[in-house]
Amino acid sequence: MSVETTTETAPVPKRGMNILFGLTLLGLLLFLWLLLGMSTTSFWTSNNISNLLRQGSMTAILAVGQTFVIITAGIDLSVGAVVGFASVTIAWLLQAGVPLWPAMGLTLLVGVAIGAFHAFGIVRMGLPAFIITLATLTSLRGIGLLITNGSTISISNDAFTDFSRADFLGVPSLFWMVLVVAVPAYIFLHLSRWGRYLFAVGSNSEAARLSGVNVNRTIYLAYILSSTCAAFVGLLLASRIGIGNATQAEGWELQAIASSVIGGTSLFGAVGSVHGPLLGAFILATINNGANLLNVNSFWQRIITGALIIIIVYFDQLRRRASR
Amino acid sequence: MTGLHDITKLHAEGHPVAKGEPILELRGLQKKYGAVEALKPANITFLSGEVHAIVGENGAGKSTLIKLLTGVIRRTSGEVFWCGKSVQLATPTEAIARGINAVHQEVVLCRHLTVAANMFLGDEIQANGLMRKRAMTEAAQAVLDDLGFNLPAGALLSDLTIGQQQLVATARAAMRGTQFLIFDEPTAYLTRQESAQLFRLIRRLQSEGVTIVYISHRMEEVFELADRVSVLRDGTHVGTRLIGETNDAELISMMINRTIEQIYHKEHLPIGETIVETRGLSGPGFDDISLSVRAGEIVGLYGLIGAGRSEFALGLYGRQPVSGGEIFWQGDKVKIANERKAMDLGIALAPESRRDQGLCLNLPIGLNINLPIFDRLTKGLTINRRREIENADKQISDLKIKTPTRRVLASAMSGGNQQKIVIGKWLSHGAKLFIFDEPTVGVDVGTKAEIYRLFARLLEQGAGIILISSYLPEVYELSDRLHVFRQGKLVASHTYRSASHEEVLTQAIGV
Repeated sequence: MSVETTTETAPVPKRGMNILFGLTLLGLLLFLWLLLGMSTTSFWTSNNISNLLRQGSMTAILAVGQTFVIITAGIDLSVGAVVGFASVTIAWLLQAGVPLWPAMGLTLLVGVAIGAFHAFGIVRMGLPAFIITLATLTSLRGIGLLITNGSTISISNDAFTDFSRADFLGVPSLFWMVLVVAVPAYIFLHLSRWGRYLFAVGSNSEAARLSGVNVNRTIYLAYILSSTCAAFVGLLLASRIGIGNATQAEGWELQAIASSVIGGTSLFGAVGSVHGPLLGAFILATINNGANLLNVNSFWQRIITGALIIIIVYFDQLRRRASR
Repeated sequence: MTGLHDITKLHAEGHPVAKGEPILELRGLQKKYGAVEALKPANITFLSGEVHAIVGENGAGKSTLIKLLTGVIRRTSGEVFWCGKSVQLATPTEAIARGINAVHQEVVLCRHLTVAANMFLGDEIQANGLMRKRAMTEAAQAVLDDLGFNLPAGALLSDLTIGQQQLVATARAAMRGTQFLIFDEPTAYLTRQESAQLFRLIRRLQSEGVTIVYISHRMEEVFELADRVSVLRDGTHVGTRLIGETNDAELISMMINRTIEQIYHKEHLPIGETIVETRGLSGPGFDDISLSVRAGEIVGLYGLIGAGRSEFALGLYGRQPVSGGEIFWQGDKVKIANERKAMDLGIALAPESRRDQGLCLNLPIGLNINLPIFDRLTKGLTINRRREIENADKQISDLKIKTPTRRVLASAMSGGNQQKIVIGKWLSHGAKLFIFDEPTVGVDVGTKAEIYRLFARLLEQGAGIILISSYLPEVYELSDRLHVFRQGKLVASHTYRSASHEEVLTQAIGV
């Protein structure tokens, strides 16, 4: 069988490949930090670093949830709206006198319900993920505005609002929250069977189904996790700005998707990790932060971010093609 | 009689080659997909104005050849001469511009457009940048009437039968100044009457100097239409014959590898208890199917594509809802509501399409192999890495999957190795009843033999096998019992070698 022998030279991926790509991103992040450290005096101040970590943390958590969905070859456009809606929910509950912990629990449950609704629309009603999450994006903003009558609800619970300003071991507590999400997310995606199922469904849902994978349940799981992460970020945001407002976090869904994609997630599904989107989120945060420090016009920031997405994903494509 | 070309001469080109002279010559034409040689270097000459039939089993390289000639795929090596000049045929546009066209088995037209719009698609009659619909409809109607098709040019394509759509596709190719027209199993979905219309059209095109390549499984069509016939087998051009100098028997022996006895590894094992029995099972695409599988036997399901065999398998496996009938598993009546239920009973399915149903192609081999058993590999919250690796490596070495590591993506494997991955999945899961749906399509001969030996091993362990195949020698030589499907129904049953090939084929086609 001379035909077969050539198969032996088939490309050998790539246990190292994911790690390598992660290291490239980490290198890029460190390079940006070094560059900004040299070109500005204010970058390496504890104030600025804390600020940077706070900025990046919320996008990072959103991006991790988003990545679960994208790995199943779906998309969740609603996460920004869920953040805003969750901030309204917690503010409203606290205003109504619900104690802090139950109020936070209920807010997270709202996130679970929204995710379940998305999965319901996809699995039972046969709607494309893009459509159902686009619909909730606008509807949730509307419902939030209806509840608040178009204004904001301020939060007077000091224990709640102090949290986001607090540090733990000299690191902002918001950044610790990234670890609180990322560690279980890593175990879930890379070490448990559920993670394998996410990849399998994203690669070929019919093959997964015929192998006994409960495809519907897997899709429910992905969207619920994404929305719950978003509701969690809503709590963090409400704590940080001290108000509940349905129009907050405008466009964060795109930040989250961008972070995920910069982190090596493929929008075609079945490719992604937990550390990738984390790095992606902090790269984006660093660019915004650096541009502010360098007094770059905020319009330029947007242009640079867009260009960066194209460049990074293009190089990722080249790498994948080379490894074929 | 006015010729088609006079009515709508869209690509006016003089006829460059006299009748009977070579119009298209293939010299060492070869196509490789990665490691797999889909077409071994072939030398075939097509003569101007002839009807040249091409026959061969599934996977013999016929469709590869068509795709090469119509510019859908690019050749790996070799040369093609069109009217004596070397040509690239790199894109469909180039092929069409030179006058090479194909009518495919499955109609590739726009269903929501009218017949006329389809016939003129990409070549619309325009005036001042606007389409002239009425002119197109009239011109199309003239062509259809001239061909004697009795089809309304203004009707939507989706309102026609598949057969009528095929005729439209042919008319479309005919009116484009086609000099070289390839038919890919055109009668697969046609009624007899429609086939007769098509044959008349083919003869007429031939009389107008068009060269026809006719691909078919059906010997009687080949002998009715063709001047010469070429035979492909396992990607090799075995030979070309004048139709008057050959016969069925010779062509079939050329098509089928004569080393059958060496390939088909058949052991007759003692037959055990009944594993599964269906009584009047019906569902989408299959109707009233009653059959049983016993331990130690292979039950073959033969039929043409779309005869309901795969649908029956998916119904039995819980993938498709069953609308009627009963399933008995080892004597007990069961309902199989989903795939998991089927797996838990002990049914494994290696589905028809590796690409669409069998594998997660852009994921590693190891993950694919372990996919059905991750619940077993899980301990507490996480997967037991060591057992995951051990199982994947065990299947890779047991099945001789040719890969350096389990981390290689399934897409990098050849067809045979991919099929082994699918099988490996189910060996690690274990089952009492294995359903293999077209297990050897696109698989090289050596791997085929390995797969057949594997069947014997499963049977020895007390399993039963349902073998679905469109490749008659395979089901014929391996099955202890052979059931023939036609149009969703089980039409005939045979024991091992109790009927001739011709008999089985006739029952499947329903002549």
